[in-house]
Amino acid sequence: MTPIQVIGLGNVLMGDDGAGPYVIQVLDATYAGPERVSFVEVGTPGLDLIPYIAETDTLVIVDTVRASGRPGEIRLYGRDDLMALAAGPRLSPHDPGVKEALSALELSGRGPRDVLLVGLIPERVATGIGLSAAVRAAIPVAVETVARELAARGARLVPREPRGTPDIWWERSGPRPAIPVTEPGCTR
Amino acid sequence: MSKRIVVDPITRIEGHLRIDVEVDGGTVRNAWSSGQMWRGIELILNGRDPREAWLFTQRICGVCTTVHAIASVRAVENALALEIPLNAQYIRNLILAAHALHDHMVHFYHLSALDWVDVVSALKADPARAAALAEGLSPWPGNGRLDLQATKDKLQAFASTGQLGIFTNGYWGHPAMKLSPEVNLLAVTHYLQALDQQRAINQVVAILGGKTPNIQNLAVGGVANAINLDNQATLNMTKLFKVKDLIDQARAFIEQVYLVDVCAIGAMYAEWLGYGAGVTNYLAVPDLPLDAKGTTFDLPGGTIFNGDLATARAITSFTDPYFRDNVAESIARSWYKGDWTRHPWDEETDPDYKAYDPGGKYSWVKAPRFQGQPMQVGPLAQVLVGYATGHEATRRWADRALATASKVAGARLDPKVLHSTLGRHLARAIRAAVICEVAAKHWQLLVDNIKSGDTTIFNQPVFPRGEVRGFGFHEAPRGTLSHWVVIRDGVIANYQAVVPSTWNAGPRDGKNQMGPYEASLVGNPVADPEKPLEVLRTVHSFDPCLACAIHTLDPEGREIARVKAL
Repeated sequence: MTPIQVIGLGNVLMGDDGAGPYVIQVLDATYAGPERVSFVEVGTPGLDLIPYIAETDTLVIVDTVRASGRPGEIRLYGRDDLMALAAGPRLSPHDPGVKEALSALELSGRGPRDVLLVGLIPERVATGIGLSAAVRAAIPVAVETVARELAARGARLVPREPRGTPDIWWERSGPRPAIPVTEPGCTR
Repeated sequence: MSKRIVVDPITRIEGHLRIDVEVDGGTVRNAWSSGQMWRGIELILNGRDPREAWLFTQRICGVCTTVHAIASVRAVENALALEIPLNAQYIRNLILAAHALHDHMVHFYHLSALDWVDVVSALKADPARAAALAEGLSPWPGNGRLDLQATKDKLQAFASTGQLGIFTNGYWGHPAMKLSPEVNLLAVTHYLQALDQQRAINQVVAILGGKTPNIQNLAVGGVANAINLDNQATLNMTKLFKVKDLIDQARAFIEQVYLVDVCAIGAMYAEWLGYGAGVTNYLAVPDLPLDAKGTTFDLPGGTIFNGDLATARAITSFTDPYFRDNVAESIARSWYKGDWTRHPWDEETDPDYKAYDPGGKYSWVKAPRFQGQPMQVGPLAQVLVGYATGHEATRRWADRALATASKVAGARLDPKVLHSTLGRHLARAIRAAVICEVAAKHWQLLVDNIKSGDTTIFNQPVFPRGEVRGFGFHEAPRGTLSHWVVIRDGVIANYQAVVPSTWNAGPRDGKNQMGPYEASLVGNPVADPEKPLEVLRTVHSFDPCLACAIHTLDPEGREIARVKAL
């Protein structure tokens, strides 16, 4: 069975841009397999995406998308949609780079043939931690969408027993109690 | 008549680097560099546990993850005067070295080579002639006629399906492109080989750091890599030998391919060794510490002013007041309230966005200054500081690179040519060669230390009541990175990151002194204002890293970048 990579893109420090990583954490806590499916959260790697997609035949990307529609709505796009994006002059290595990474791999004769983008329309992308209500409400829908699309590709996800708690570490607020300070009894 | 050109990929996401240049008579006369996105990491970190700051700072930027993690733990350790065990130092050093090698390969081959290499021209190359040409410059086994023929076949197949569009940012057929078809074919071959090479060296980061791109193994006080040479689950000899193999593999590619390619391109575009110097004050910090305190290093740091190597002054330790006391940031031309110049510990973050105004405030990026001067940071600063302070490996590799470039150019090139657009690329390759050697050395130091019976990886941090201040620096692939932290009763009270691209891409300051990007563009030629390839060449030579924050795809295919000639 060929490997399937499910990748979350986006920045957890930038509001709704953290939706991709959030979905990956939920998938990882909810499903234990099958073995050929991996859930990876890679942040905003630009062209550094290449190492994470080079050895997979099927790639599912979860990311925010700029599209017409209301915040929290989900849009699906295929490989052809991504490859049809115009390329333009690039000043920095951070331009999203999905198309460039796929093209570079294709030129070298590798990379995923089957690409699906599960896109969430964001409400607020700006410095600050936490999803908007609309995008937060869409997370379970995005998770189900990924599960359904994987099942359609012959990879039915196996629920984790017991179901885990997603590690949304970036939403933990403030200091945790155990900071060791020199004066006994001080926890803040 | 002068013409204003704006290069602005802003439409893709909310924030980015924007470059404006004024061109008159085919030459850039004035330039402005603007960061179009506000970041405020300090607002996220204030009130948090200093031991966890690195988890957040490594999310500032999706490409420079590791470097912000390391600068953060170093800053907190500095505030506590906390030493870390030697094993932790060496393991961190190996991660940093591997990350830098990965980053440099990607930068040259996948992000900027296409400014110089015309992919379409490679379709006309004679693979046998290209192979013969390569043989005279490098023993690399991947330069054979069959390898080059295979690249040409792939390229032909790719072109026949109309997919060469991804290379349009290389502006093929541009009058400023001048490599022969054979050299272009070699470069495209190495572009493909570098895809494998950059993935391979990235595995070192994964083996030692856990998951990538966001590493998991750091801790304030050391690392979390349990060491037991006989245990499958810990850092053991099998994993260490794998790391060694990967470093050796990268070393071969960098010495035999990357460095040679950059030298050849430097020689074939020799006029670009004359453009793009800009700010010739240089700053680099020392890195790859050899002791627990950070007082001796394998990579040198220091300052140079006015391009004069005789002014070199070393930065010598993690606590050196020469660095600590001389960094300040100006917001005179940046979108923050006020017009102060302050030390990072004393800064506040009060955003105040107004319209883009090149005569007033025009950037989210602050203008960092050292003793009031703009400084260029990055591999060129690293190499020049090393050269000036007599760092043996830097001198040896710089001399070797200049000799190779001189041979191709048929003219003697001296170190002065490094103050230039292509000099920055040359310096990056020289630095990569130096890092390969040093990485191999630190691998041996780690193995020897473990074999001597030391498996310590962590010293417990303890926070004092009251206020402490710390700074941590790292000489990252793009240059000097420093994090500055104020901790009150064990909690973060202020946090500032002064990043390499801020030093280089920052705007003018209160004294109207240009930042390095801006100054480097003045005097550049521009043959075709609609296709300002030359502007991209100089900006790319710094390896800009500004749009560090978000990732929103635009799959409905609207305009994603634009060049406007006004």
